[in-house]
Amino acid sequence: MLLALIKKELLALMRDVHGLAALFLMPAVFIIIMSLALKDVYDPPVKMLPYAIENRDSGKLADTLIAEWEKNHGKAEGSEDWSGSVKSGKLSYALVIEKGFSGALMDDKMDSQTRLRLVTDPGLESGIFAANKAELVMIASEMRARALLIASHMATGVPRGRSATTPAVGEEPSVSAQGIVEAERLAAGARPSAVQQNVPAWLVFGMFFVVASLSNLFLQERQCGALARLASLGVPVSMMIWSKALPYLAINGLQAALMLAVGVWLMPVLGGDALSLAGINWGALLFILLAVSTAAIGLALALASLVRTQAQAATMGPVVNILMAAIGGVMVPKFVMPEAMQRVAEFSPMNWGLEGMLAVLLRGSDMGDVLLPSAKLMGFAMLMMAIAVLLFRRRVS
Amino acid sequence: MPELRETLEIRDLAFRYPGADRHALNGVSLNAEHGQILGLLGPNGAGKTTLISHLSGLLPVQQGHISIGGRPLSGIRRATPTRIAVAPQEYAFYPMLTVTENLECFASAGRLGGARKQQRIAECIAFTQLERFARTRAENLSGGLKRRLNLSIALLPEPEFILLDEPTVGVDPQSRAFLLDAVKTLASNGAAIIYTSHYMEEIEAIADRVVIIDDGKVLREGALEELLGSGAAQVHLGVDGLDSAVLNELLAGFGTAVAAGKDWLVTMAAGKSPASLLAALEQAGGRIRFADFGRSNLEQIFMSLTRHSLRD
Repeated sequence: MLLALIKKELLALMRDVHGLAALFLMPAVFIIIMSLALKDVYDPPVKMLPYAIENRDSGKLADTLIAEWEKNHGKAEGSEDWSGSVKSGKLSYALVIEKGFSGALMDDKMDSQTRLRLVTDPGLESGIFAANKAELVMIASEMRARALLIASHMATGVPRGRSATTPAVGEEPSVSAQGIVEAERLAAGARPSAVQQNVPAWLVFGMFFVVASLSNLFLQERQCGALARLASLGVPVSMMIWSKALPYLAINGLQAALMLAVGVWLMPVLGGDALSLAGINWGALLFILLAVSTAAIGLALALASLVRTQAQAATMGPVVNILMAAIGGVMVPKFVMPEAMQRVAEFSPMNWGLEGMLAVLLRGSDMGDVLLPSAKLMGFAMLMMAIAVLLFRRRVS
Repeated sequence: MPELRETLEIRDLAFRYPGADRHALNGVSLNAEHGQILGLLGPNGAGKTTLISHLSGLLPVQQGHISIGGRPLSGIRRATPTRIAVAPQEYAFYPMLTVTENLECFASAGRLGGARKQQRIAECIAFTQLERFARTRAENLSGGLKRRLNLSIALLPEPEFILLDEPTVGVDPQSRAFLLDAVKTLASNGAAIIYTSHYMEEIEAIADRVVIIDDGKVLREGALEELLGSGAAQVHLGVDGLDSAVLNELLAGFGTAVAAGKDWLVTMAAGKSPASLLAALEQAGGRIRFADFGRSNLEQIFMSLTRHSLRD
């Protein structure tokens, strides 16, 4: 019986050309357009990101650097033990001021040993990564220039018994601190790129789009009396719901395969960056995809049971999807949002899915790291399913 | 068709929708017997759909009881839901599926499987003469063919009790005749049929018994012949040469007279004959243009019982 009902669902779906286009073409087109559009013009926002500072230097210039940095970037949120938070993305980066930093800045002949490190979240946007590194070099260079200037004044003003050291032309000390500043991403992960960011985002969005397709068909069945007929034949509500959920689970699986394939193979052909799946934890990826799918289907069933007219079905699903995407970091990256909106984003199931996917695809996270977002998604799915069952019974009768 | 000959009994059924200020059904009692067609008549909002929803298991019994062979319907529906089938007024199937795909889906939902399922699908297609359209998508069928598919699906599990809710709405006369013949065949094969329609001539043509309901109550219930026989004799008259006041007074002596344009409709009082009426008219100087005499048909009975006011 279940197989027959599933077959009916799949046949209905295959004959819904617009629904299929929305499920497969829409996210693919979004990935292509957004990735290409953002490839070179992704403008890093000047923003306050959560960060930590670890100061291993006892010199005064280290304190000056910290004060300068905090002036533009707010107070640091952590000091030592920042590694786990940066790796998981809770902190965007850490500044590590190595021992000897102050001395190196004041030294005429600065060695090339790294004294100042910028260690970032593996998924930090490339633009922000570069901007922060440049700013760090600039501040350190300014400090070095000031330090050298003061040293020079002192040398020319006091030197009884000591000769003022006026370097010969060509021997002036370099003011650039570039040589002692290093920036790196923490841990091994795929290099962030537009496609690496966009595939998870639009895949999550596309998977949630089953809402529109499922609610349209459900409403059609309800309005023509087919559902009432199934109920009068003794088909349990649970079976009706399973017969809808399982095909869409398969659809979500196909969407994921197609979107990943677009990222891996089609994007390079079109001149974009390729999606890298090297070294990712496939178990974690499948698990978070499953969680996203159950949440999407749960929401779809709940909304499908809620709507009363074709117009509602046609608008409510897409609107809910787009809103969740907008606040969830799919359309606008979460890091460019104001602080309050970032808190709101954490309530969007799309954001849970997106964070989980980014963790796997950008940070090389394993199963343990995706458990929390997956648990949130599955909890959301169960809540939606419960609502769906309650409403479903009422709608069928 | 299983050789069970149990009667479907509805006794004192009452139902009120949540939030409604009056009952949708109020003390409804009726029987549906095997081999018979029970015509269920009622204006819009009379309670027919509520009654059918109870029989389909879509509404719980709030008051009264429904039983088959003395056992409650709810228990029978749980054990063997396919003993009662409904062909709703809507096209209750999947328009994007073909005729055969629809039948396969609903056959499986009705717990038919294997060779039996294929056999029943073939039989139902043959019974409703849908062979040529087996591979046609339901959305591309004509209104008449859709009605036949609706009936075909209802017949898949070989139900003993078949509820047909206005099964001929929107079909051409040929399809209507075909459907009426099919329904009669089902009854003659032993099924108990409850047939609702707004077409009185259909009910007159096929029903063995008739129930007229309005405002959730049974207004009249009985064998069709009995019901038609109970209608009072009427005379439809066209008379010239008499003033209408005089004519009204004269006609009132023979029953209830109602002016219908230039003509008159007289429902004869008991003991009065049409011949004496015509004689009295001639004696008073009236010239009779025409006179039709007959008993009430089902529509007139229905209209007199349910009154003429428009319904929701």
